[in-house]
Amino acid sequence: MPHEELRESVPVLTFPRQTLVSLLVFAIVWETLSHLAPYLGIPPFAIPSFVRIARSFTTITPIDIAVTLARVIAALLVSFVLGLALAMAMYRSDSLDKYLHPMIRLLMAVPVVSWILFAVLWFPGVEFRIGFVLVVVCGPVFLIDTLDAMRGVPRDLRHMMQSFRPTTWQFFLKLMLPAIVPTIFTSWKVNISLAIRVVTIAELVGAVTGIGHQLSVAQELFSVADVFAWTLVLVALLFLLEAMVARAEARVLRWRA
Amino acid sequence: MTGPPPIEVRGLRKVFRQTTTGQSVVAIDRLDLAIAPREVVAIVGQTGCGKSTFFDLMIGLEAPSEGLIHIGDKSPHADFDLFRGRIATVFQQDRLLPWRSALDNARLPLELIGLPEKEQRERALTWLNRLGLGQFTNAYPHELSGGMRQRVAIARAFAVEPDILLADEAFGHLDEVTAAELRDTFLKLARECGSTAILITHQLEEAIGVGDRIVVFGKSAKLLADIHVADWPKSKYRLLREAIQSTLQSNRPDPRLTQAANARSSPRKRGPGKKGSTSGR
Repeated sequence: MPHEELRESVPVLTFPRQTLVSLLVFAIVWETLSHLAPYLGIPPFAIPSFVRIARSFTTITPIDIAVTLARVIAALLVSFVLGLALAMAMYRSDSLDKYLHPMIRLLMAVPVVSWILFAVLWFPGVEFRIGFVLVVVCGPVFLIDTLDAMRGVPRDLRHMMQSFRPTTWQFFLKLMLPAIVPTIFTSWKVNISLAIRVVTIAELVGAVTGIGHQLSVAQELFSVADVFAWTLVLVALLFLLEAMVARAEARVLRWRA
Repeated sequence: MTGPPPIEVRGLRKVFRQTTTGQSVVAIDRLDLAIAPREVVAIVGQTGCGKSTFFDLMIGLEAPSEGLIHIGDKSPHADFDLFRGRIATVFQQDRLLPWRSALDNARLPLELIGLPEKEQRERALTWLNRLGLGQFTNAYPHELSGGMRQRVAIARAFAVEPDILLADEAFGHLDEVTAAELRDTFLKLARECGSTAILITHQLEEAIGVGDRIVVFGKSAKLLADIHVADWPKSKYRLLREAIQSTLQSNRPDPRLTQAANARSSPRKRGPGKKGSTSGR
């Protein structure tokens, strides 16, 4: 079956030789620098050896990873549902689109740091602050992407569908939603990367749990090894989420040639 | 079985306003036409004569600027939802949904009318089998040839067993052999279903080969000729073709067509505007 072949051929968690070589070169350079640091006038804690970093990995607390992961996933789900619902409403109503579009663009232009400061000043609860920042940053991306995708659905297909007289709900469910699925996956991939970065900054400010908080502690202790270890965890988390989305994408979009 | 209702088009006018210039364009100007139940009517006309606008008005996607289209005593536009499952269309391109298999494409209109899933499947399978696609029910559109895709589109239209079938240049983009084969299948199935069929085409051979009637549109869908093909023996098809061609080129009814229409209406004492008869072929 061609679909089976397609599914098997999707490179989700494979590392080509070039990637391994470049990672290895980086590791060798880092390790060498860590040994040469005292002779180069660099403080020893600035470039810790991999043995020291490995020791930091033993102090990684899974609960902080789980908390960050839960925050990211919950916020992405809320952002997606809100973004999709608003995109559907804006697609249906030109006047709503005309009123909301400038506001959405404005929201997207506000820097993440400003949102964090607003959240700290406006809301007392830490979880709500983090959730607010994530949703206000990721929601508009989902909205704009899905709205653009809906507008890009070929006129011929919309015309065909309308000729069979669907209800509004059927029109969205049977045509628009499946037609924009590829864009939705792309949007998820972009937003996962965005959310991981934003959640870290948001947790740095005021949170007492999560990877961002642990990074803040590591900074207070001047422990580059801990920062390195937690950063690697973040990167691994990002790759894992992206791989999961890519796998789901390959499965859902197996109809594509 | 009640059968499909008659179609009446009276004083139909459709005016569009061009978005760039703001000028009005008359796509259809005062069209009168009556189509009897189960009739197969081919509409021919040159590009830009208003055929596709008429198609959209018949589907109900556009509202007439003036005049009316009535199917039975209802308007396909004003009573849009009443015609769910009663009007089906085959377009120039197959317009299949690429993420659905042939079976799922064929059953799309059945889902929209809310049939139970088992019945949807059975009916879609029946129609795909009748169109010779029994082996390809799980294939996606990109895995099928152009002719096969168009067969799926035809199965999709027939699956609802509609009162009225509309086909807009449905076979024009296919090679001659496939097109002829599909035309025959379409016509056979339409007659078996007892549906009224309206085919829009620019190909005269197709119109003569398929229609009980050929309606010739001039500019702004002016009714230039209304030909009952049964009045023309097969030996005179070449003459008929030439007469239609001359009508289209001059935007004026060819005298040969007028003579045939007069000869038809005289013995039956028909009024000149009365065209809604069925004619067996």
